[in-house]
Amino acid sequence: MRPDGTLPSRVIDLNRCYAHHSAADVLKHALTDPQVGRTALVSSFGAESVVLLHMVAVANPATPILFLDTEMLFPETLDYQQSVAERLGLTDVRIIRPDPEEAAVRDPQGLLHRTDTDACCALRKTAPLHEALKGFDAWITGRKRYQGGRRTDLEFFEAELRVRIKINPLTHWAPGDVQEYMLNNRLPRHPLVAQGYPSIGCAPCTSKVAKGEDPRAGRWRGSEKEECGIHFVNGKVVRGPLPAPVEEPQKEDIMATEDTVIVTDTGFGPEDWAHGFATPNTLPATAGAALAVDLSPDADLSVLDGRLESIDMIRIDFPSFSDGRGFTLARRLRLKGFHGRLRAKGHVIADQYAMARRSGFDEVEIAAELARRQTEDQWLARANWKAHDYQARLRA
Amino acid sequence: MYHYTEFDEAFVRERVAQFRAQVERRIDGSLTEDEFRPLRLMNGLYLQLHAYMLRVAIPYGTLNSRQMRQLALIADRWDKGYGHFTTRQNIQYNWPKLQDVPDMLDALADVGMHAIQTSGNTIRNVTADHFAGAAGDEIADPRPVAELIRQWSTDHPEFQFLPRKFKIAVTGSPNDRAVTKAHDIGLRMVRNEVGVGGFEVIVGGGLGRTPMIGEVIRDFLPQEDLLPYLEAIVSVYNLLGRRDNKYKARIKITVSETGIEEFRARVEDQFEQLRGEFGGADQELLARIEQSFAAPEFRTATFENFNAARLANPAFRAFTDTNLASHRAEGYCIVTVSLKAHGATPGDATSDQMRVLADLAETYGHDELRISHEQNVILPHVHKSDLPKVYATLREAGLATANVGLISDIIACPGMDYCALATARSIPIAQEIATRFDELKLEHEIGPLKIKISGCINACGHHHVGHIGILGLDRAGVENYQITLGGDHTETAVIGERAGPGFPADEIVPAIERLVGAYLENREDAGETFLAAYRRLGPDPFKAALYPEKETADAA
Amino acid sequence: MSRRPFTPKVVAANALLDGDAVWLTADDRWTRDMAEAELIEDEAVAEDRLIHALSQGHEVVGAYLVDAKATAEGPAPTHFREAFRTRGPSNYRHGKQADASRGL
Repeated sequence: MRPDGTLPSRVIDLNRCYAHHSAADVLKHALTDPQVGRTALVSSFGAESVVLLHMVAVANPATPILFLDTEMLFPETLDYQQSVAERLGLTDVRIIRPDPEEAAVRDPQGLLHRTDTDACCALRKTAPLHEALKGFDAWITGRKRYQGGRRTDLEFFEAELRVRIKINPLTHWAPGDVQEYMLNNRLPRHPLVAQGYPSIGCAPCTSKVAKGEDPRAGRWRGSEKEECGIHFVNGKVVRGPLPAPVEEPQKEDIMATEDTVIVTDTGFGPEDWAHGFATPNTLPATAGAALAVDLSPDADLSVLDGRLESIDMIRIDFPSFSDGRGFTLARRLRLKGFHGRLRAKGHVIADQYAMARRSGFDEVEIAAELARRQTEDQWLARANWKAHDYQARLRA
Repeated sequence: MYHYTEFDEAFVRERVAQFRAQVERRIDGSLTEDEFRPLRLMNGLYLQLHAYMLRVAIPYGTLNSRQMRQLALIADRWDKGYGHFTTRQNIQYNWPKLQDVPDMLDALADVGMHAIQTSGNTIRNVTADHFAGAAGDEIADPRPVAELIRQWSTDHPEFQFLPRKFKIAVTGSPNDRAVTKAHDIGLRMVRNEVGVGGFEVIVGGGLGRTPMIGEVIRDFLPQEDLLPYLEAIVSVYNLLGRRDNKYKARIKITVSETGIEEFRARVEDQFEQLRGEFGGADQELLARIEQSFAAPEFRTATFENFNAARLANPAFRAFTDTNLASHRAEGYCIVTVSLKAHGATPGDATSDQMRVLADLAETYGHDELRISHEQNVILPHVHKSDLPKVYATLREAGLATANVGLISDIIACPGMDYCALATARSIPIAQEIATRFDELKLEHEIGPLKIKISGCINACGHHHVGHIGILGLDRAGVENYQITLGGDHTETAVIGERAGPGFPADEIVPAIERLVGAYLENREDAGETFLAAYRRLGPDPFKAALYPEKETADAA
Repeated sequence: MSRRPFTPKVVAANALLDGDAVWLTADDRWTRDMAEAELIEDEAVAEDRLIHALSQGHEVVGAYLVDAKATAEGPAPTHFREAFRTRGPSNYRHGKQADASRGL
């Protein structure tokens, strides 16, 4: 169904209609609103792309996803594209590549980027995207108001050249929101982010900058490209050997492993529960064997009514340290009379240990990575959680 | 007044020690900024446009002279010799250096004060009627309850990472001076039909991006049920509040999306679970706190000199006409000291002024001071016979401006002169309006009129509930000011209506002048206030004055 | 990909210890005088410089890119917010404007 009305008037109506909606709502509605029409998501599968991909997958996994393979991408990006599409269940990912004839004429060696980045972008990005968007009435972008100075006017919907609507569901997001969304939804990160690339585009024009490294090492400069270790095989970019990774201090103790760490008042310890975890939906019908249950922060505790006596351990997930729902869930479980082990799992920081204990948790389960960053002494510093407790005095 | 117990003292010292270590870890690189930010915010330390800012809580707006002198000392030693009193009964220092902040916090602890929970997604500084314990219309002093709530909410383990910030206000008077209907929870102390004290509990009010007037969730809550009931509300909100969009995360949105009936049902259910958890220790503590707030021994004396001074000195008469409120004790009055001298920054006091106020409180005011959400300082207990001396001292310190409740008694947030969130400046607009109406010598003629200015949509300047509200915005890279009309912050709270398109900075003062002109022209008599005239006439005559071209165009 | 034309930028931040407004220079210093900052005319360079700035957490907080224009004295702000950051508040002569009058 094709939308009616002129494009600018539709855009004005859409912005009015969705003025107070959240990003996910705008996206969901945009994919079904006849005033928007046929819509595609253009994605680079870069550092932050997974947020919009996830929202689209939730709203309608059959939405066309246009993935622009400039043939200059990192191999990690190509792998990541496949694994993300599979994990999110996206069923219509269309890989857009430069016109091979054009590329053969204008950039036979794959070195155009050294002499003219704009021409390279035109050949490998702008033209193919323009072509691919011809069948669509609208496309979704990840642009945000806070980016590029003070673009305080970026709306959810924009009219692009009077032919197409551009949808910016994330326009109101603040700088930390993307990270928070990824944490909350446990979305896979682009593998290069962990290696120091905060934003990922084509390989020749992206490089990482590490603390202490010559800051110009990451800059685009024609002459520097000679040295950056990038070369091409069959028209694909292949990255040279990475600089040696920063050496992790090797310890003999628990920290050397990748196992999770259990934090108690006596410090770090290994996992000692060997019976697995059920979910509220997979609780065994009869009591008997050792039983532990995983709860998400949005869990409805009433599903455990009548079962608390038979549960040995409840583990509550903290997707982000700024999400405090788990503290209230713990307290409510204790109020309901749960006497078993209560564990907080995930992104809990050392400064929250006293809060967790006072809310009713017995212990905290953290990843080895977090345990390396926030060392045992930082947790032990809060093991005095019974001291200075206003609430305990008031409840006596 | 409440004095820190050993428990309070030990708690605050422990927190300062923790923060001192955290600052050291930040500077030596063991904490990243991302890790440090929530920790500094939990201790009231913001980063603004030109410097850090430390926000210090003044719980329920009450200070003694020793505390006020310490605030002055902190301003001199670690800042630029002044402080800014805010609309939430806090004081802000605009120029602290990171390494000095732990010392500033220790200096606060020396006088039983702190900066804990003045920021972050947690229960903030509890505010109360600034006339508490003095007002003639008071049912009960709200401060003991506010102190109880301060202790209950401080470091509450469940509520340090709520979906969004959470503000509680308490009033003990039917005339609401604490804006309880624009808070996440507002508590109004009431008596039921058999004379038992308790609370009307209001939930889900707030200004900001989506202004809403709170709804009554419980019309009578017995006093002893307060903490379990508050805990139930915040607990329900913690699970139910939205975390996907920070503009939808306040409890007002939770209540409006859930519906007050369903929200109330969940709260009552949780309340039943929690009620038994409080075994009476809270009420014993409250009784002890109440003793510390016992009223001072008011003296009985004549005050012919007060009446004589009124006759002899027109300036004194003007001051007493505008800056006094009625006191519950015979012969006493409540003195509001205006921090709104014409052309000055609303809410700012120099360290010298703070010391003068401390001296006056000690000598003539039973050692009590209050900070109002209208950014003024109050001497709550002054005997009328002392007023001529008090006035003379205030006058010497530049603190005798007779404009309380008038057009130049403007609330203004710091705006883009300091605040990193602001979209436009507020302070210069307030300065220009006050200066202009002082030149016109019209403000006493105009009578009660509240102008409130915010430098962004977050509405720290309460513009929605100003009789005239001004909101500063960034329109295509230029400061632009939108006017709202008819707001009311009292027990008859109303959100103002937007008048129309905004004005550039150089047109806002003339626009306000036209607006006031329309009021003076259309009011029935001098007894009809701006707000009353607006309610009687509706917006049309005011809009016509604001946008004269449009009227001409319509007529043509 | 179609995008809005790039406008010149500087990298701005606040100093870690006192919070003062600072800008990144071409030789990787943080200056308190915006006119000494590096004016970046190329989008790729801008991103790159920002990435560098974000790794400077031991010196500065909250680095961001902001529009600037070339003048005879050096880069100057184009938006009033950044202009305020080069001076200080308008209600008192505090901040940079005071330092300037003291000849610092």
